[in-house]
Order: sequence, then structure tokens, then C-alpha cells
Amino acid sequence: MFWQILKGSLVRQRQKMFMVAITIALGVSLTTAMLNVMLDVGDKVNRELKAYGANITVTPRSASILHDFYGVEAGGAGQYLQESELGKLKTIFWANNIVDFSPILETRAIIGQTASEITLVGTWFNHRLDLPTGETVETGIKQLKSWWSVEGNWVQESSQGAMLGSMAASRLGLQIGDEIDLVIPGSDRTAKVKIEGVFNSGGPEDEEIFVPLGLAQKLTNLPGKVGKIEVSAITTPENELARKAAHDPKSLSLKEWETWYCTAYVGAIAYQIEEAITGAHAKPVRQVAESEGAILQKTQLLMLLITVLSLIGSTLGISNLLTASVMERNREVGLLKALGADDTEVLVLTLSQILFTGIAGGFAGYFLGLGFAQIIGQTVFSAAVAAKPMVIPIVMVLVVLVTLTGSLPAIRMLVSLRPAEVLHGR
Amino acid sequence: MNILELRDISMIYGTVKALQDINLTVQKGEWVALMGPSGSGKTTLMNIIGCMDKASRGSVVLDGVEFSQLNAKQLTAIRRDKIGLVFQQFHLVPYLTALENVMVAQYYHSMPDEQEAMAALERVGLAERARHLPSQLSGGEQQRVCIARALINYPMLILADEPTGNLDEANANIVLRLFQELHQEGHTIIMVTHDPDVGKLAERCIMLDHGKIVQHSNRYEGVAKACVNG
Amino acid sequence: MTKYTMYSKMIVHSLLRRRSRMFVALLAVAIGATVLSGLVTIYYDVPRQMGREFRSYGANLILIPAGDSQVVAETDVARATELLPQEQLVGIASYLYGRIKVNEQPIMVAGIHFQEVKKVSPFWQIRGNWPEEQAGDILIGAEVAELLKVEPGQSVTLAAGESERKAKVAGIVRTGGTEENYIFTDLPMLQQMLNKEGQVSVTQVSVMATEAELTTFTKTAGDKVPAVTPRLVKRVTQSEEMVLGKLQALVYLVTIVVLLLTLICVATTMMAVVAERRKEIGLKKALGAENRSIVLEFLGEGLMLGLLGGLLGTVLGFFFAQSVSVNVFGRMISFQPLIACMALIVSIMVTGVACLIPVKTATSVEPAIVLRGE
Repeated sequence: MFWQILKGSLVRQRQKMFMVAITIALGVSLTTAMLNVMLDVGDKVNRELKAYGANITVTPRSASILHDFYGVEAGGAGQYLQESELGKLKTIFWANNIVDFSPILETRAIIGQTASEITLVGTWFNHRLDLPTGETVETGIKQLKSWWSVEGNWVQESSQGAMLGSMAASRLGLQIGDEIDLVIPGSDRTAKVKIEGVFNSGGPEDEEIFVPLGLAQKLTNLPGKVGKIEVSAITTPENELARKAAHDPKSLSLKEWETWYCTAYVGAIAYQIEEAITGAHAKPVRQVAESEGAILQKTQLLMLLITVLSLIGSTLGISNLLTASVMERNREVGLLKALGADDTEVLVLTLSQILFTGIAGGFAGYFLGLGFAQIIGQTVFSAAVAAKPMVIPIVMVLVVLVTLTGSLPAIRMLVSLRPAEVLHGR
Repeated sequence: MNILELRDISMIYGTVKALQDINLTVQKGEWVALMGPSGSGKTTLMNIIGCMDKASRGSVVLDGVEFSQLNAKQLTAIRRDKIGLVFQQFHLVPYLTALENVMVAQYYHSMPDEQEAMAALERVGLAERARHLPSQLSGGEQQRVCIARALINYPMLILADEPTGNLDEANANIVLRLFQELHQEGHTIIMVTHDPDVGKLAERCIMLDHGKIVQHSNRYEGVAKACVNG
Repeated sequence: MTKYTMYSKMIVHSLLRRRSRMFVALLAVAIGATVLSGLVTIYYDVPRQMGREFRSYGANLILIPAGDSQVVAETDVARATELLPQEQLVGIASYLYGRIKVNEQPIMVAGIHFQEVKKVSPFWQIRGNWPEEQAGDILIGAEVAELLKVEPGQSVTLAAGESERKAKVAGIVRTGGTEENYIFTDLPMLQQMLNKEGQVSVTQVSVMATEAELTTFTKTAGDKVPAVTPRLVKRVTQSEEMVLGKLQALVYLVTIVVLLLTLICVATTMMAVVAERRKEIGLKKALGAENRSIVLEFLGEGLMLGLLGGLLGTVLGFFFAQSVSVNVFGRMISFQPLIACMALIVSIMVTGVACLIPVKTATSVEPAIVLRGE
């Protein structure tokens, strides 16, 4: 009989229950969407922040300070890193967090036509690299220096092309398509390159010329060597532990050290790079690393607060509607009571109706919410927002909690209801 | 003088014939009781006369106006101007006081006039209860407010649907006495009832069964008995 | 009594004497308005506040000497920076580069105003302390510190040409960049030592402005003060433009989705509250009310509810936005009358429309059907 009444009330009050279900569905979809976006926003914004370029630079351990201080090219072993070891970057513990990297080999060169000196940089533009793991990655400065505005084209890896900084181009009066001779002062090594593109970076690179790494190695007679690696990695914002480690990793206790090593702090990643590449010294670029952390934290906190607001909003909204819809049913309840139903029976019936509706609405809402999350992800970040499984239990608990608390005031009213009053329409 | 004239009224819901070929005329100042078992079509007939429903067939003429040609808006106007309704369930606006409930009818009709509304409540003996909400009034009092509301716009015809159906005997008597007074003052009343004692008060008694008039009797012709038997 | 007073009496009493129901409806509207005003305020405020956060990436504009000159007068720099919107300025840090001998070793040196650099480049990690202004203490890059084997608190000897003086190392700078190869002294001190009074090599400016605004500035400043060439730090400006744009789009979309769903929630609740009153509508029709007057009554109620709930929600929403801003960005926000007005109008409109839908369906039903039976 209970089921018959329940079924009857659900089927025959379709319209009213439908409205309740819709509201619950909307509330749940909002919750689902916001929770999913919130849980994923850190990752997404972190990727966006990669636009600021490398946050770790890897240099040979026997620091190139001589070069920096005196412009002296010392040469010899220990001054360079091995190009063949670059793939090892993708084998460290946090390999998946390493987004892009690019080798740099710098030297001074003279442009034959204008007889002017210029800094020549050999690098990867958009390089396909086979990893020891069997995978293939594409990386290089095209990804790393996303803020460059380029006229003409990016250089093809295999070609004899070059990209010239805008300041150098205007100073030397060179244009895209010009062919120039590059001469290394004090040697007979020369090369003929074609200017494929002119870039504006707003930095010191604007005075330099970029060529494929292989060409630079040939010119400097340093086959298989690189002077520096720029690495862009997704990192966790710094905290007390990270700062302690940055000052001196040896000061950590074993347990602290383990935590630090297994967290994607920029310092920990740099440390692991040093472990992976022989003779390497990896330094976090503070300008990028610190700011990333600050912005990431703010964004996550902001989204968290917005999520809380929308959760409170949808919770109140749903409870409110439930109160309204239960109030509306007082005549029916009065009749049941007049027929001899006691409070428990009325309660169980009402709650089952609401829970049934709530679960149906919640189910629909969850999928609707995933849809909303995808719309946000695709529109803002052009990437799918991962559907986190942990959202499901949260949403389920929320639905049950909300429907029950939402019906609370209404239930109190139902219990205190005197059938005669309702039935006589007073 | 005929106030109301029904000719060949039929009401069909799907395949159910709620009313079949009803013919009835009501004179000014008459009190007509509509009687019959449940489902005999009393309320349907009341709704048609009260402009709350349109007959499937036939014509209704109230005060010389034929209903079938009128649109919803014109029907509303007729209901407002010429008919006073009294319901079994009273139907008062729950959040308005007795006085305000009477004034609502004035408000929709023309202009709310507190003194006039007060006078109407006095007329039904509720002057001191004027500021009470319906929930604070007894059933009999609510029904008297309902009658005051029905009277306030000087209707040509008072339609009462089981006005004593929800009342105890004492209250029912008060309400019936009111109707008797109204009748003596010359109001035209059509009252649906299933209570033979109430029916006896009317001048004429119409018995309906299965949508048809089965008996049409007049008190002065001593046919009140028929009502009682029916 | 006029018709109008009766009308308002009916509306007011309907709200006051049906307290529990109206409370439900009021709450619904207030929630909607809170979310609306709160989120829109945040949406409006986020780019401004976030823009400030992005300033932690350091200078987005540099001023360098025009032509082949190596230095530029401080007065020229000041004339150029005066053209910038002063309230948007975060900091202006001038650098004078040179080469001096530290403990007999040739080292690159930069003269700076420490307080300004701290503002422009908050990412500098200092082991030890920032030097006091005018104290004559210095900062020293991490690489140099390693080379010279000095620790904070020790003293070093600075020598440039004839002049020689002792200075205390206040802290060691770690940036992961070229700064680690420099030592930093107070700007006037270095100007004196190098005989370059009143001159600087480069000036870094951190200012809250879009790339477009900065580009216009570089043009006007370049024209008005020919001695300096302003240049954008493209890495910072362009990336900021991009990331900030995404963040704003994110908050925008989230706002839209939340608003849409909340408003539908409000509407369904209002509909449930009004649908309950079908009988009352039927009664009023039976009493001879025209559809228009019934619609007007419910509209009046709805607008009243919208106004009350909207007012309540707008105030709550502002406090919400305020607490978000304080918690996330540590800054207060100012009250935006325009947003408050808009939130109020939207909540009134939504409530009104949500009331009208069920009233419309109720008035189209014959009163007899509504009144019958029950």
C-alpha cells in the first residue's frame, strides 16, 4: 500500500515533482561543475602560466661564471652539457611535470656582409625527440617562448635557416629572405644561412640571432655539446619546507626530505634534474617560480570561495523549494492523518517522495554539471576538465543532506498539522 | 418579469452528458431550490448560470442578455455586475480581514467603499468581527462574510451552492434566516441544496437527476412534499 | 478609499499575513540576488586585483638611454615616468651598471634604490636582510658570494679608480638569473664612486596597465623625452595579457553558469509558491476580477518581493565579495552602485516574470474548475 501511495503521488503529481527534480538537478549540476572546475583549475592555470617561459635553467656545474664575467670562452670538458642527455629530463620522478625544454649554445659570430659582431644562439626550435622510454616529445623554443611575436616563419630543424632579433635586424638593415654568412672570429669556420623569420621578444634576445643547434655546434666545433638548458616545469607553490630545502637540502630530516623530494616544488625538480644529468647545475628562475605560486594560490582560493558561494546558494535554493512544495501538500497530508496515518507514516511517505525525486534529479544534474564543466574547460583553456571521481560522493552526500534538511521546516509543519484545520480550509 | 431564462441547456463532458435539455425560467424575486442526488448536474447548472462555465448547447438569457455570444471578458463583467456567489467552502481570501474580503468584491466591481462594506457586514450581524481574519472566524461567520460579499454589489441574482453544507445546525439556521430576509427584501435567489428542510423554504423546487429535470414543483401548489420525497 | 489603496493593501497583506510562504519566496530571491551581486562584483574586481598579483613577475616596462648613449640623466627618467598613471604605479627602480673591484676581484656592480627594487622585483630571495637606505650596506649575488666566499654580516672592500671604501654585506641575492653575478650598492654611493652623478643605465618600471596602454605610453614618452627609449618587457606584458585574459574568461563563464542556474532556481521556487494559490485566483475570477487585475496584483507582489529580496541580497552579495577580496587578495573593494542597481533590477525582473508564468496559466483556467470539489 505504501508503494502504491508513493507511486500514485509521484505519477499523479508529476508536474510538481518534476519542478522539484529540475531544481535539484540544477543545483547538483552547479555543484558538480564548480567542484570539477575548482579541482582542475590549478593544473589548468599552471599550464597557462607556462607562457612566462622557463622556470629552471640548467648550466654546467663548473659555472660559466668566467664567461659571464669576462666574456672568455674557456672551452674544454666540464664546461658543457651533453646534448644526448637531454632526453633524461623526461625520466625523472616528476617527468610528467616537465612541459618544455630547450638547449642553448651561445657564441660570438660575425656577419660576413655587414662585418658586425652578433651573439649567435644555437637551439631547438621545434624538435622531435625520441625518449629512452620509447615515447616521442616535441619541444623547443617555439613552445617555450610563446610571447615572441614572429614575422615570417619559425625555422625548420633540418634547414640552414636562422631567426634574427628585431633590434639586430633594424640595426643591420637585414630582412626576411636575406642570405648571410656567419663567421666565427679567429677561426675559418663559416656557414651560410637564410633569415626565415624576425622576432620581437622585448628582451635581450632581440639583439641576437638564433640558428639550429646542430649548426651552432658545427660552427663552435663542439659536436654534441650544449651550454645551457631552459626548462619549463609545472610546479607546486613554495611553502616553508620548500624554502628550507632551497636554502640547504641537507638541513632536512629524512622524513621531510622524502616529502620534499616527492612534491613538485621547483627546488625538488631542479634537484632531480641535477641527479639525472651529469655535471649539471639546475637553478630555479625565481622571477617565474615565485610568481607562479602566488597566482596559482590566489586563483585556487578564488575558485574555492566562488564554489562555496554557489554551493550555499544551491543548497538554500533546493531546501527552499522543498519547503514550498511540501507546504503545498498540506491538504493531502491532512487527509492522510484524518484517515489515521500517524506522524511516522506521513514522514516516511513524504521523505521517500522527496528523496526519490532528489536522487532522480541529482543523477540528471551530475551529468549536466559535467557538461557545464566541459564547456568552461573548452572555452577558457581549450582543454577538457578532468571528471574527478571524488566529486561523486560529495554530490551524493550533498543531495541527501540537502533534501533532508530542506524538508525539515516543512516536516515540522506537517507533524504539527491538525487535519481538521486543513480539511476545513480555514 | 423573467430574470433568467434557460432554453434547451445541455452540457457534455466527453461522452458524459452532465445536463440534458434543461428548460427553466426564474422570475424576479423568486427563491428557487435546485435539488438532486450527487452527480445529478446541480453544480454544473449553477456554474453555467454563474458564467463560470459555458453550456455545450442551448441558450441562457440573464436580464435580457444572451450568454452564448459573449466572450470570456464579457462573461466576467456579467458575473461581476449581476451575480452574487455564495460557496459551500466559503472561499474567503485567507490573508484579508472580513471587511477587506467584502471590499475585494467592491474593488473588482468599481470602487472600494469601507462604510458600505461595513454596512453589509452589519447587515449579516458581523460588525464587531470586521477586523478578523477568516482563520479567526467560525464557519457560520465565514459564510455570513461570504453572503455580505455576495450582496455588496447589489446583484440581480444570488447563486448559493450548498451554503449550509459545511455548517452545524445552529449556524445553518442563522444563514438560512439571512436568506429568508433577503428573499423578503425582494432578492432573487437560486440555491443548490440536498437538504429537504432547506428546500422547503424555497418557493419553487427543481429536482434534477442524471442531468434532467425530473420534477418541478411549487410550494403554494402543495408540492413541497415532492421535494421531501425526492 | 481609492482603488489604489485597496490594491496596495491587498499586496501588503498578502505578504505580511502569509509570513512562512513569503519568507520562503523572499529567501529564494535574496539568495539569487546575493549570488548575482557577489559574483558580478568579483568578476568586475578580479582583473584589477589579479593584475596587481601579476606585478610580482617584475618590471613590465624598461627605460633605456636613447641612441648609443650608455647612461641617461635621472631627471630625464623622472620626466618620462611622470607621464605614467601615478596611481597604477607599483615601483620605479633605476640601475646604474659598472665594474668595480671587490676584495681585489673585478666584479659587475649595480647601483639601486633598495626599497624600489623590492617593490619592482618581489621575487628576489634574500638570505640575510635588505640593506637600510643610506646605510652604505650592499647586497651580493649568490654566484659572486660563492666566488668571494662571503657571508651576510661580513665586510668587503669596494674599489673604483681612486676611491675605496668598506661595506657590510647585508644579504645574498638568489634569483636564478643574471642578478646572481652582480653586487648591489646604494645608487647615490655608486654614482659618486664612478663619477656619474645623477645618471643611470636603465630604469625598470612596474605599472598596472595593459599592453595597449603601455604601447601608447612608449610612443608619447619617446616623443616628449627624447633622451630615453621606453621598451616593453614583452615576456611579462604579453604573458600577463594572455593569462589574465584566461582567468577573466574563467570567472566570466563561471559567473554566467552560476547565475543562470541560480536564477532558474529562484524562478522555480517562485513558481511553486504562486502555483499554490490557484484557488485564490479562481475565487477572484469568480468574484468578477478581470485577468488583468489578477495579473497586476501578483505582479505587484512579485515586484515587492523582488525589491525586498534584491535589496537584502545585494547587501549580502557585497559583503561576500568583500570577504573574498580580503581573503584572497588582502585588499578591500569599493561599493559599486552600478552593480548594486543592476542586481536589484535583475532580481525584480526575474521575480516578476517567475510570478507571472503560473498566474498566466491559472487565469486561463475557468474558475469553476479551480473552485470545484475541494
